[in-house]
Amino acid sequence: MSEEHHITPLKTYLLVAGTLFFLTAVTVWASYIDLGSFNIVLALLIAGTKAGIVATFFMHLLWDDKKNATIFVGSLMFLAIFIGITMTDTEFRGAVNPEIKDPINKRAAFYNSLPLTDDHGYPLDKEKNHHEGDKDHH
Amino acid sequence: MSGTNQNYLTHPKGIMSWLLTLDHKRIGLMYLFGGLFFFFIGGLLALGMRYALATPEADFVTNDQYNSMYTLHGAIMIFLFIIPAIPGALGNILLPLMLGAKDVAFPRLNLASFYLYTIGAIFFIYVMISGGVDTGWTFYTPYSTESHTNVMGTTMGVFIIGFSSILTGLNFIATVHKMRTPGLTWYKLPLFVWALYGTSLVQITATPVIAITMVLLMLERLLGIGIFDPALGGDPVLFQHFFWFYSHPAVYIMILPAFGIISEIIPVHSRKKVWGYKFIAYSTLSIAFIGFLVWGHHMFTSGQSVLSQIIFSFITYFVGIPTGVKIFSWMLTMYRGQVSFTPPMLYALSFLFLFTIGGLTGIFLGAVALDIHLHDTYFVVAHFHYVMQGGTIVAFLGGLHHWWPKSFGKMYNQTIANICAIGVFIGFNGTFFPQFLLGLRGMPRRYATYDALGSEELVAQYAATHGSSTFFSGILGLSIFIGVMNLLWSLRKSNKLDPGTNPWGALTMEWTHTTSPPHPHNFEEEPVLEHGPYDYDKVIVQPTLKK
Amino acid sequence: MSHDKSSPDHLYHHFYDVDQQYETSKLGMWAFILTEVLTFGGLFVAYTIYRAWHPDMFFNANLLLDVNKGLINTIVLIASSLTMALAIWAIQLNKRKLSLLMLFITFLCALGFLGIKYVEYEHKFHLGQLPGEYYSYMGPEVVQQIHDQEKIDSYIASNNIFFDKETNRLYTMNNPHIFFSIYFIMTGLHGLHVAIGMGLIAWLMVLTARGRLHAGYYTHMEAVGIFWHLVDLIWIFLFPLFYLIG
Repeated sequence: MSEEHHITPLKTYLLVAGTLFFLTAVTVWASYIDLGSFNIVLALLIAGTKAGIVATFFMHLLWDDKKNATIFVGSLMFLAIFIGITMTDTEFRGAVNPEIKDPINKRAAFYNSLPLTDDHGYPLDKEKNHHEGDKDHH
Repeated sequence: MSGTNQNYLTHPKGIMSWLLTLDHKRIGLMYLFGGLFFFFIGGLLALGMRYALATPEADFVTNDQYNSMYTLHGAIMIFLFIIPAIPGALGNILLPLMLGAKDVAFPRLNLASFYLYTIGAIFFIYVMISGGVDTGWTFYTPYSTESHTNVMGTTMGVFIIGFSSILTGLNFIATVHKMRTPGLTWYKLPLFVWALYGTSLVQITATPVIAITMVLLMLERLLGIGIFDPALGGDPVLFQHFFWFYSHPAVYIMILPAFGIISEIIPVHSRKKVWGYKFIAYSTLSIAFIGFLVWGHHMFTSGQSVLSQIIFSFITYFVGIPTGVKIFSWMLTMYRGQVSFTPPMLYALSFLFLFTIGGLTGIFLGAVALDIHLHDTYFVVAHFHYVMQGGTIVAFLGGLHHWWPKSFGKMYNQTIANICAIGVFIGFNGTFFPQFLLGLRGMPRRYATYDALGSEELVAQYAATHGSSTFFSGILGLSIFIGVMNLLWSLRKSNKLDPGTNPWGALTMEWTHTTSPPHPHNFEEEPVLEHGPYDYDKVIVQPTLKK
Repeated sequence: MSHDKSSPDHLYHHFYDVDQQYETSKLGMWAFILTEVLTFGGLFVAYTIYRAWHPDMFFNANLLLDVNKGLINTIVLIASSLTMALAIWAIQLNKRKLSLLMLFITFLCALGFLGIKYVEYEHKFHLGQLPGEYYSYMGPEVVQQIHDQEKIDSYIASNNIFFDKETNRLYTMNNPHIFFSIYFIMTGLHGLHVAIGMGLIAWLMVLTARGRLHAGYYTHMEAVGIFWHLVDLIWIFLFPLFYLIG
């Protein structure tokens, strides 16, 4: 090698991993507190921080050619464009045709023919027959 | 430059040395012939459709056959010819030569890209044999989740070709960044390289989205995942967002390299320094970027929100700015130059004319109110053929004629080539200009018959316009066919050029620093940059055409 | 063709020197990462839009996932990311055996991740919490059979979209199959990447054991490392988005 690459000290790696474990604990803890719509914001904020740490230290972006970081940030920017502009459609429909304002929320037809199950996924066939029998009595 | 007999075409020999080659020039040639083969098939489908439309009734093909024809025509032309043709063929051959590099950054990836293209092509051939596909090349849901034709095979083909496109783009980006010969700074790059760079950025950014869209569509058919299918709670308009997030930038994957070719041909054949080098270079990048913000203008009648209609329509107009910058720069390059009417230049001039019409009619379609009237009519068909064929394919033919002597060391018959170029121009306008009128009169696209579309008088008008369109499409098809045959005929053994020849007197490195056809390793000695790519004001170079 | 700098075996003919080759490979790898981000990006778009449309369904369906398994997998993946980084650190210092050990631990973590994922999937398959039309889980968290005629009448009168008049069922969530479609596609694609990553790590172990990688040349390991950290990075988002919908 004509030029030495940067060698990150062991301590940095361990510290980074420690931070990631800590933030994982924080995000689980935070999800059990009811913050309303702020829950998702907080969860994404923590995830974003963790992702940033992984990219900066583990993926060596901090010491790399800045082109690589630009490509990575660019990919996130295009993703934001994709999500953002698509949502200007999906979140604002129905100004002209109010009937398309709400997303399709009709239950798919196959649910009607599915038998009820217990919480282990086994059909409650016997019970169902029993109830249908009940219905006849009404 | 002379004194060596080694060139990449003859060294090494043997079929395996071609099939397993890592040489970018050979891979480029394989792409070229693959692309031309599918251009031929797609062209035959187009002529078949034109023949069917010459009369209002269904007398040549059934309606189902017609549906399959337009779907396959679109999908083959776009995925198997236009997208891979310029970057895959001309780009592969020229990019390392223009950079003074020995090869692209990842030669094995380059070969893998070609084989992925081949596998995708095999899927398309399988689809053609197994009865075709009738969804249109856009695969709109919910019809594409229900159609009984071979949607799976086609989406699989598109999925695989997508990876081929990604690998080419990735390779070119690394090549442009890292493989330039010392001293070749960004502003000394030929503009074709800038164009390929912009294209590659779009390729790697947009193509992954079509890959995942095709996966979701296949899963929708296999498992009924309910993301795009309204019967299962999904949203078909979301599919259109996914599809056009790729397919609108894909329009720029198709047209940006064409811009690059024109930027090369015009200064060389006008013998004048390119006007506004940085304008052309940066307009390439800004088109590539703006191209990502306008996909919804394909969806003005889909029921998307009014807010996004306005946003998309507004941003769409911004595409016109860098495009206009380019057109004016090219015209100012020709101004007071020594314009010679060689075959490449005739194609470039046709491009300027045809692409401008294509671009200007795009402004009509970018306006929501007008688009609602013109959506899915022949106006749209005419518009995108002016851009795709009048733009990209004409530029591709021009580039092919420009670099043919470079790639093969052979010169074609220039008189025949000139006649064909004029034939393409006349045939093209005769075919597609009437379609603007058809569209304005309300003729919908993708209809196999039109005998029941309106009053007898209207049908007679349609028939007359369609008839003339069909007549000129014959001239167009014949001109392209003879033009390509003229090129292929030049490959005969007895026809030879001196390896040091520079038939157009060009200043880019692929002409000045290596032989025609080039050495297997591109340059016999490390190339030293003596002048910029368009320094006609400083360097005197005469066209040489020695046998 | 000749140049001043030495030409070691691992230098391909079309590069000037090892540095150019290393930097080019890294740039190529990052361009590949961009394509990966946008491939997953398409799915994140689908997730975002459906969650914005049906927040309650997403909340209720998320309760059917096992947070503990997700949490363990998160820890396993972060640990594997650390060992992957340490494998590169070790090879940079020419400690080949340590590097090999770290790669092996990374491989085991990946295997553990897929093992836990398998248990999770197996359970879901068993319950019928499947994507799309194959969905069949109709347990008490999803739907209740209503027998009380008064309630039935009131649901019909209020035009409750969660109530089905024909079968007298009150659904807690509409179309949970969409949640499971997105869940299986995203975690499935991620799992596929883990499996590919395992193959790549195994390949690295072979290269390292054979002495092909050393402090002077470890491009393969650096590139696979970037890929592996991306796999971790995507899971960092998948975990809160699927398992921790507060």
